[in-house]
Amino acid sequence: MADALVIRNLSKRFGGLRAVQDVNFTVRENETLALIGPNGAGKTTTFNLIMGFHRADTGSVVAYGREVAGLRPHDVCALGLARTFQVAKPFGGMTVLANVMTGAFLRDKSPDAARSKAREAIDFVGLSARESTAARDLTTIDQRRLEMARALATAPKLLLLDEVMAGLNPAEIDQAVALVGKLSKRGLTIVIVEHVMRAIMAVAKHIVVLDHGQKIAEGSPKEITENPEVIRAYLGSGYVHAPAGASS
Amino acid sequence: MRLRGWGGVVLAIVIAVMLVLPLVVTSSFAVDILIRVLLFSFIGSAWNLMGGYARQLSLGHSAFFGLGAYTSTLLQIDFGISPWIGIIAGGVVAMLASLPVGWLCFRLRGPYFTIATIATAQVLMLVFLKFRDFAWGAEGTTIPNLGYAPLMMQFETKAPYYYIVLGLLAISLMITAWIERSRIGYYCVAIGEDEDAAEAVGVNAPRVKRDIYMISAFLTALAGTFYTQYIYFIDPQTAFNFSVSIEAALVSIVGGIGTLWGPVIGTVLLETTSAVLQSRLGNSIGGVQLTVYALILMAVILWRPTGIMGFLRETYARRKMARA
Repeated sequence: MADALVIRNLSKRFGGLRAVQDVNFTVRENETLALIGPNGAGKTTTFNLIMGFHRADTGSVVAYGREVAGLRPHDVCALGLARTFQVAKPFGGMTVLANVMTGAFLRDKSPDAARSKAREAIDFVGLSARESTAARDLTTIDQRRLEMARALATAPKLLLLDEVMAGLNPAEIDQAVALVGKLSKRGLTIVIVEHVMRAIMAVAKHIVVLDHGQKIAEGSPKEITENPEVIRAYLGSGYVHAPAGASS
Repeated sequence: MRLRGWGGVVLAIVIAVMLVLPLVVTSSFAVDILIRVLLFSFIGSAWNLMGGYARQLSLGHSAFFGLGAYTSTLLQIDFGISPWIGIIAGGVVAMLASLPVGWLCFRLRGPYFTIATIATAQVLMLVFLKFRDFAWGAEGTTIPNLGYAPLMMQFETKAPYYYIVLGLLAISLMITAWIERSRIGYYCVAIGEDEDAAEAVGVNAPRVKRDIYMISAFLTALAGTFYTQYIYFIDPQTAFNFSVSIEAALVSIVGGIGTLWGPVIGTVLLETTSAVLQSRLGNSIGGVQLTVYALILMAVILWRPTGIMGFLRETYARRKMARA
């Protein structure tokens, strides 16, 4: 399998805080990789560095053979990378359809084409019944669905999901896990930041663990859960039911 | 669908009424008020593209109004070029001027952006005040009266001016309606809602803002030329008057920003109120007009931040829901 995303020696400092220090990892095409670690470990900062929301101090981010470090977010998105936000950022006053059309316009200038692409993405995440609801009136899980649909509408190859399950109840987490599985089956490469271990075990084949901005472990779910340093830094001895509402 | 059908009928009636109005209304005072209403509806709707849809609260649109006014007047007086050409030239000048202004101001967000736009307009006014050999300085100049000269945008009655500004308003409403339905419109609203989220789905926010600012500036400049031709006079104080910037924003906010008809409805309400107050009270109570203005604005911001259009929409949605 080819490499979708190669991250080399990535570092970012905010004043005296080293948010991300010399992080390396590779995401292969069609795989689902989970990025885990305690609050403040640098997971969201890593996403922001990949997508161009922050500028890396050093290091490189190569997506599908192209250096993206230093590009603006919309350029990164045009190259086939899309993200959701840890705190959902829907276009509140716009309807669900208009939100997702905004994403679809990246590949289709014509409103009619964008509308039909958007409907497809809305249907995929199961939000069709809410098509003409204003985004700000959606429930938490529906806002997450909306963010995924909006990202999907940009026709990405790689999807970065930032804590899409935070704040969901167990039944909703199952739905979200199923949705991520469906996205992966569709051929998308996924990088997921998550605290819900149950969900990570269900979707990820490959896990990278960050702590204090550094990578402390990498491997299969089994290797990670048995790694003493990961247990010490993050999981704890009774890791299986990490709090569902946790956020970083 | 039924409402859309009715909307079409209402629109046709409004257009018909607007077209025959100057034939029926003969009082030149009344036609003057109508022209002012149309003019500020037009300026408001130009402002609305930028301030309403993209939520970039500019309070410096008088910069473009003034540039339009001065460009066409300079061309007319110095080179004898018809204002019909000057009006387009003014639009282009304003459009070009919006590029550096936008480049400087767009890196600022929120109130800082607003302050920067105010400063730009003030600086332009000072430039035209100081450089007297270039554009008559503080005294300004009158436009030579040629009597009836349609080719020079001069007429002996008010009705033709009425039709010109009605045409301008129609153009800007059509442009707005087109933008509302096309990609740039969706992008503007998305940027207004959340610029980071818009960037994340591939919206080149700086470019979209630049484009909408250019369109908005172009249209605002047309109003500047028209106004100068209408009053036969130009000086920096009228051309770059801060109240033009304020009025453009105010009528849109009261009527409903980011809506097609908001600026028109806002202007009708505010201009009629102010005209009625002025004719009833005259100058007997100084400043009463401004006080009422301020009260209307405060009422809208407190109770109906989505403006009159937002209020109508909510009411309609509620009634529809009640019926269902």
